[in-house]
Amino acid sequence: MLKSYLPALVFLALGAGTGAAFTALNSVLGPRRPSKVKSDPYECGLPSEVTSSFRFGISFYLIAMLFILFDIEVIFLYPVAVGLKQFGTFALVETIVFIVLLFVAFVFVWRRGALEWR
Amino acid sequence: MIGAVHSQLGPFHAPHVDWKGMSPLLSVLGGSAAVLIAGLFPGRRTQRVVVPVLAIAALIAAIGLTVWIWEPGGVRPIVAGALSVDTLALGVSVLFYVAGIATILLSLRSAVVRECGAGEYASLLLGSIGGMVLLAGAQNLVTIFIGLELLSIPLYILCGSRVRQEHSLEAGLKYLIVGSVGSATLLYGLALLYGATGSTSLSVIGHAVGTRVPLDDPLVLTGVALAATGLAFKASIAPFHTWTPDVYQGAPTPVTTFMAVATKAAAFAILLRLFDEGLISDRTNWGPALAALAVASIVIGNAGAIGQRSMKRLLAWSGVAQAGYILAGVVVGTRLGIQTSAFYLAIYLPMNVAAFAVVIARMRVSERGDDMAALEGLGRSSPWLAWPMTIAMLALAGFPATAGFIGKFYLIDATVAGGYAWLGVAIVIGSMISLVYYLRVIAVMWMSPSEVEVPAPAPARASPSRRVRSVAGWSPEADVRAQPEVAFVAIACAAATVFFGIVPEPLLHLAREVGSAISSAL
Repeated sequence: MLKSYLPALVFLALGAGTGAAFTALNSVLGPRRPSKVKSDPYECGLPSEVTSSFRFGISFYLIAMLFILFDIEVIFLYPVAVGLKQFGTFALVETIVFIVLLFVAFVFVWRRGALEWR
Repeated sequence: MIGAVHSQLGPFHAPHVDWKGMSPLLSVLGGSAAVLIAGLFPGRRTQRVVVPVLAIAALIAAIGLTVWIWEPGGVRPIVAGALSVDTLALGVSVLFYVAGIATILLSLRSAVVRECGAGEYASLLLGSIGGMVLLAGAQNLVTIFIGLELLSIPLYILCGSRVRQEHSLEAGLKYLIVGSVGSATLLYGLALLYGATGSTSLSVIGHAVGTRVPLDDPLVLTGVALAATGLAFKASIAPFHTWTPDVYQGAPTPVTTFMAVATKAAAFAILLRLFDEGLISDRTNWGPALAALAVASIVIGNAGAIGQRSMKRLLAWSGVAQAGYILAGVVVGTRLGIQTSAFYLAIYLPMNVAAFAVVIARMRVSERGDDMAALEGLGRSSPWLAWPMTIAMLALAGFPATAGFIGKFYLIDATVAGGYAWLGVAIVIGSMISLVYYLRVIAVMWMSPSEVEVPAPAPARASPSRRVRSVAGWSPEADVRAQPEVAFVAIACAAATVFFGIVPEPLLHLAREVGSAISSAL
């Protein structure tokens, strides 16, 4: 039982090792020429000096939220697609119903203009 | 590797789904998707006629399908034991459908529909009704939680759907936060119940508690307590009621109407299901605790209502007290208790909807909004609104010849027969206190202002939601004609209240069939 976790453990060790090695090499070998722009904290391309009166464009959040919604819903299709032969027609019908509902939501979002950048 | 996973899973068997039993739920949820798309088409006609007609058609279809599959008897699992259709689920869901139809009629001319869109409004409402139907038929802890969330999330949005009004947004946010606390508490309780018994199925839990798992197992007791707390938030049972007056006042009034009757019925349906079916063997432990909650609700609700000037707040406090009465029927855990709870939920709908309909009619024409002063002299100016309100108040107080009397009579009968006579005494005392504020509303309508003493005015909060256009030659009687659907709802509900007060037998017969659904009751 525990043995089956060994590949995952090796993968984790390899991943951590590679990442650590490159970071370490970078700080040892890389040239260092700091400037004001470079040492600024970076956050999603937005300017980092945020004053209390600063306002975000709401469109950004709307698009991001819709993306996450549809993205996660599409993820649910994968397990069904992988095992469709075993699951049979029942799963196929259920998935079609699911996609139809997604489509209704998509039409709603699209016609309401939530996908337009304002 | 994929093949290896399959060989471990073994052959897959599709769960048995009884589509006939699911048909009312599918009608409501299908209607929810249909009105969402219908609302996208531009044009005044679509928004004001097509969408409400579609929504009401879906609800009427659901009622028809419910009548079609109605069959007295025990649990009939329809989705692999996760959901059941029995008379309890079907009977209570008819209340949701009727409340939905009344809400759509009451909001036809409401500002909320124009502000958030007719399609969205109707779709959210139908989605919430779908959640209630799911909750009422839940046979599984997971179904309970999914149903509760499907019920709650559209309601959070509906409460805040008047996006340009601060009070509405405040109500939405308050309900979201308090409701989420309630949901989290319930989920924690359900998780502990699963941990103690090893099953999410209510029937398995019912068999396990008292045999495999001791009655006073700390895990079971904690789970029961947390689940009761979570559901008490939803049913606005004291001391978990504090959100009720604020949310009821701030939410658009048609939404308040819906919450007051349908959410309460859904919460009590699942309370009955969870406690009187799943956990009935542990009754000696949860009985006194729920009885204490019932008494607290009766006392706090009635005391809180006395000082209210706002009709919506008054009805909210009265709802807390009424929740206490209905909870008494759950506490006794007998078949009679379940029947009387179901009967009271059924008559609670017309009496409350009649009162809210009159409040809506007045809020649209009066500058005083939902203040009690908006009802002044209503008896003389528009008796067609004053009579339904009078009947509703008398019924809520439990006067004879109204359905409220029959309901309280059977509740007290059930508490005495179930060994909780002191709870019956609490109901009587609570009803006596409630006369103070119910009769005051009647006095304001029928007597001159100088003769009635009302609480001091609160700082002005309410503003008329929308004036009905006053044309030349406007008269108070024209109120009724200007919004005939509101008057229709008020009069129909008042008529039902009186009818079932004089001829309760058909409704009692249905309540007996609802009670037969829970076979484990004493």
